Amino acid sequence: MAHIAVIAFFAVYPIVYGPLTGFPALDVGVGIVDPGAFFDAFLPATTFLIAMLFLGLFAMSFDFVSGYTGYLSFGHAAFYGIGAYFIVLVANGKVPGLPDSTPFMLTMLLGALLAVVLALLIGAVSFRLSGVYFAMLTLGFAQVLYQLVRNWDYVGSNPQQGPNLAGPTPEVGVPYVDSLSIALGRLAGDNFKNVLGTGIDVSATMTSYYAIGIIVVLSYFAMQRIVHSPFGRVMIAIRENEERARAVGYNVFWYKMAAFAMSAFFAAIAGALFAAYRSSASPDTTFYFLVTADALIVTIIGGIGTLAGPLFGAFTFEWLEDVLSSQQGGLAPYLRGGLPESVLNADVAGVTFLDVINTAIDGRAPLYLGIVFVLFVLFVPNGLLGSIRDRLGGTVANRLPAHLERYRR
Amino acid sequence: MLEIGFGPGVVGLLDPSFPLEWIGTFASVAAVAPLEGLDTVARILIEGLGKASIYFIIAIGLTLVFGLMGVLNFAHGAFAMVGSYVGGVLMVLLVASSAGAATRIVFFVIVVAVVFALLTAVGAALEVGLVRPIYDRTPMYQILLTFGVGLILEEVARIVATARGIQPEPKWSGAQATIPSALDAPSEILLTLFGARIRGFYLFAIVAGAILAVVVWAFLTRTLYGLYIRAGSEDSEMVEALGIDVRRAFTIVFGLGTGLAAVGGVFLMWDPTAGPSVLLNLEVLLYAFVVVVIGGLGSFKGTVVAALIVGLADSLTTWLFTSGTVPFPGLSEVTLFLLLVIALVIRPQGLYGVEEVGGH
Repeated sequence: MAHIAVIAFFAVYPIVYGPLTGFPALDVGVGIVDPGAFFDAFLPATTFLIAMLFLGLFAMSFDFVSGYTGYLSFGHAAFYGIGAYFIVLVANGKVPGLPDSTPFMLTMLLGALLAVVLALLIGAVSFRLSGVYFAMLTLGFAQVLYQLVRNWDYVGSNPQQGPNLAGPTPEVGVPYVDSLSIALGRLAGDNFKNVLGTGIDVSATMTSYYAIGIIVVLSYFAMQRIVHSPFGRVMIAIRENEERARAVGYNVFWYKMAAFAMSAFFAAIAGALFAAYRSSASPDTTFYFLVTADALIVTIIGGIGTLAGPLFGAFTFEWLEDVLSSQQGGLAPYLRGGLPESVLNADVAGVTFLDVINTAIDGRAPLYLGIVFVLFVLFVPNGLLGSIRDRLGGTVANRLPAHLERYRR
Repeated sequence: MLEIGFGPGVVGLLDPSFPLEWIGTFASVAAVAPLEGLDTVARILIEGLGKASIYFIIAIGLTLVFGLMGVLNFAHGAFAMVGSYVGGVLMVLLVASSAGAATRIVFFVIVVAVVFALLTAVGAALEVGLVRPIYDRTPMYQILLTFGVGLILEEVARIVATARGIQPEPKWSGAQATIPSALDAPSEILLTLFGARIRGFYLFAIVAGAILAVVVWAFLTRTLYGLYIRAGSEDSEMVEALGIDVRRAFTIVFGLGTGLAAVGGVFLMWDPTAGPSVLLNLEVLLYAFVVVVIGGLGSFKGTVVAALIVGLADSLTTWLFTSGTVPFPGLSEVTLFLLLVIALVIRPQGLYGVEEVGGH
């Protein structure tokens, strides 16, 4: 139930977002009230929701191994980067044996399998250690890859900027069935006018949102299935007490390796979606240590050890990014345009309100994200979803109806 | 947990046979290369030792904090960055453009002391306010908390630096300009001794690193608090039972670690390849991790040896890749992390580390 509600919310959101931000400004005598601009400033735009989707999927894959087996994979960005670079390189015809006409879905899966192979190699070395050492070793591997890609001119003419996608926009769909394929991409993707006579226009951004969304939902259910299977139980047993899991007779090494490999698979899919949507990949947005850190932050805010939590964490992250962005639709332009001149230039000890907006609000998402993160670590260690589950005493889908029943009558 | 060489570790450092062993290794490598003379060998060695000193300075605070408390301090780089900016402000305020080299170095020492005192207080306050409440949780939460503190400090530094007109310049050149010209230019001492054109800064770094190593070693082995710290890292429950306030020791060590990170930042202000910038946060953090992990988390001796290895390897590979002997200029940046991976594969617990410290 809860799943359907969440998916329905995200499916309907972009359709509702348009009319909400389109409200006309009203003059109510004392001043102008503009609900459209208000919603524009405080609701995340569809482009940010797309970022939420691939960040959310990447964070879920991170949570899959770190939250469920307890091994902090600090170099997870390596797999994300493999997925992203594989898409771009195949599309540019730079991978031997794969023509640049290879369908996107096929490329994505091959890239994910490549990430699995890499994960098995890294895991074989890294799983000899645990705790801080495991985190450091995975970080070390990822940084080696990052530096190599950053300096390897085969991937692009300017490797530090990363390669761009040449040729046609990647198409999501069933490989080799053209009628089911939909082009992704922020600007060059497909758009549909008046879908099924409903009068709703689906823009290129919305098309990408739904196409990426379907893959993310499928990946989520695949991971959720694994977590709830006997295999997932063993992962949790390893997290809770590895010695005991070994004593019971499980070969914990291979369970850890398998979990790590599966997690790498989904991380690479997230990277592939990112590259397909952005039509480019750069070392700093894929392989770098801070990309893993983003997944970590999002996972903690959403709730570590809850597979769906990272998505809500990613939603918080992207919402903050959008509200505090400098572009149209951010809080700073809204305040600058909406507040009267006298308030903006009100001088308190030599600092005007406008200065405060410019320095403390405009584009300052990382600051508030850091503060939110620290507050979560200190006071909400189980994150958004984890805390709700603690409150309800079980998963939301199972316990919410009974909980609501108490308040009926 | 904190393994401090009472004798062997630091004696190993001061013992002439130890560095000589390395000199031998690197000299033989350099000798193989054709047409390279004594000046190249000297350059690789002295730059390497200079880099080793800087690596030591930025890593030692991390070692102390991890050794006693088992907390991997992810805010270490941010503290270094803050130290770099604060030091830069003080130097710019103090140094007039006409000041001579000696005056500038005296001011530098004063600035190091002031920044150390300031950031030690800040670190102690942070420990009491933020880290102390979560000691009873798994080590991961301490990593996360300090990482979050680092993020916040980075953004605050960015806001302040932008507001003061220092950013978006990648490095704050105003603070870098306070370096005396004798340290910025090739050192005359080295020119006459070896004919090697090496910046005087590296010689300065070697002296400073050696002094700092001796001071930290003396603090750990010769003072009462050093004793508490060594004992507390062995068995903090027993120390507490003996009536020593371990919590206060934690606060002091976290403060000292922060202060030492800031001192590292002040040094990087003059480093020709660094300089005060917001990016220093992650750079310092990753470098410090590599050194500390190779040496073995929490080991003073390990930090010294790992800093030497990393520094010398860094200068050797930089020379190899820039002189055209190996045609892949970007590879020198990989060296550090390759070393980390190789070291952990061969010796997972680090050179002098105890296995599975801080694991969960």
